[in-house]
Amino acid sequence: MKFLCVPCDSPMKLQSVGPPERGSLSVVYSCPECGYEMAMLTNAYETQIVQSLGVRIGPEIDKTETGGLTSGTGCPFTAMIPAAEGAAEGTGHTTSTGAAAQPVPIRWTAAAEARLEKVPSFVRPMARTGIERFARERGALEVDETILDAARDFFGM
Amino acid sequence: VKRYHDIVGDGGSRILEQVAEQRTRITGGLAGVRHLVAVGSGKGGVGKSTLTLHLAGALRARGRRIAILDADFNGPSQARMAGVQGALFVPGRQKVALPQTRNGIAVFSMGSVIPESEALEFESASDGDSHTWRATKEFALLGEILAAVEWGALDLLMFDLPPGAERTVQYADFLGPRTSFLLVTIPSEVARGVVARSAAALSKGPNRLLGYVENMSGYYCRDCGAIKPLFVSPDQPPPVGSHSDPTPSGPDRSVRFRGRTRRSAEASAEPGPSGLGIRCLGTVPFDPELARHCDQGIPLAALPETPVGLALEHVAQQLLDSLESTTSAPAHVSNELRRDKPASAHGSSELRPGKPASADASHEPRPGTEHPR
Repeated sequence: MKFLCVPCDSPMKLQSVGPPERGSLSVVYSCPECGYEMAMLTNAYETQIVQSLGVRIGPEIDKTETGGLTSGTGCPFTAMIPAAEGAAEGTGHTTSTGAAAQPVPIRWTAAAEARLEKVPSFVRPMARTGIERFARERGALEVDETILDAARDFFGM
Repeated sequence: VKRYHDIVGDGGSRILEQVAEQRTRITGGLAGVRHLVAVGSGKGGVGKSTLTLHLAGALRARGRRIAILDADFNGPSQARMAGVQGALFVPGRQKVALPQTRNGIAVFSMGSVIPESEALEFESASDGDSHTWRATKEFALLGEILAAVEWGALDLLMFDLPPGAERTVQYADFLGPRTSFLLVTIPSEVARGVVARSAAALSKGPNRLLGYVENMSGYYCRDCGAIKPLFVSPDQPPPVGSHSDPTPSGPDRSVRFRGRTRRSAEASAEPGPSGLGIRCLGTVPFDPELARHCDQGIPLAALPETPVGLALEHVAQQLLDSLESTTSAPAHVSNELRRDKPASAHGSSELRPGKPASADASHEPRPGTEHPR
């Protein structure tokens, strides 16, 4: 979808994307010629269809600026907005029953987190849980690249 | 006033760019895969998953490097059958490695990560109404898997497709013209009718139709050693070795198994009265022992000298021959299905002689992959 400032006959530029609210996104565009601003407010169907494409709305951001990813479920549509990603992992995936509680918190190094992000988003929570279990069984309280390499070897990959 | 196509870019949302980038990542990730083969049908319950796994096993035994992507996200069965239930997907330094079967077949299946007691569900902003977006979401996931996994150098990547004639075509559209299709039917008129719809729909696109396999083509009775009819059509003779076959059972039963299967295999290479208009790569009888193997994740190698084992070997060879062939379609394929294929996709795509499994360190079966949890 593109937006045109009719008086200026100029394509409008995306300025910001507001956080999801009850399935609605607020996408603000402005005209680079006259500065006129408008907001596109999506309904839940529109949000869902765009989210189903597996894309994000808005420019990519440097993960280090947001402190990296953190565990948690949160709003599944947060991942559509790069600027809001630090608040929740937002896989958009769930199963019909809940996941088991984690008995001991496990920390992840930034490098290990970066590698985890390579796992397809919908299996990432399961991969995280399994790797943390693997680490816990070995007495580790932190997942680093050494643990990941050991897990790969252990699981025969 | 400017129109849509007068404007370069989309003002910053980059949605089309991201979709294009996804396609590029998929193409790059599959660059080392020589052949993409989708096993579909249109009809459910005909044995697509069973054939996929055991054909992969037969090809693996020939030294081919094989991976299976269980594309049936909602009814994944490869994890159980391949013995990789509960396997983890651990990220490597570049991409994600897959768990492997005991005989060295890499498998991605949602069944590895979602217990059979749970259903795959997606968070939705639209308060249900999944008919409006779910297929799109599933194909986005498929793309994410294809892009994220470390496929490496493979001879074949086999896709185990979900049922549904329309789904088969959607997968053809998504996977692109590089992907060849193998259809599976059973000797029932209902199944053939559905599969014929899939074949007709696929014939309108650029994907190559390798042929079909008739599964459950008779029932292998372990008591009397005969292959009896499982589905009887009034215009078809009973299968070879049916109850009308006067050959008695006895001490030489194993020899007769082989003879029967070879006769059956030779006959199956001929175009049968399926009405599908595509080549038959073989027929595979139903064997309860194979079903038990699938439930327990035991590979085909445990059934080497049985009719079903030999039939699967025959189909695997036919599949290889078909992939190696430089012609677009066999002579007896009906005109509506015959079409030229770009040489870059199939014309020069002869399979290299595969290394023995033991010589391919990257695909060696390793311990601990069957039941990691």
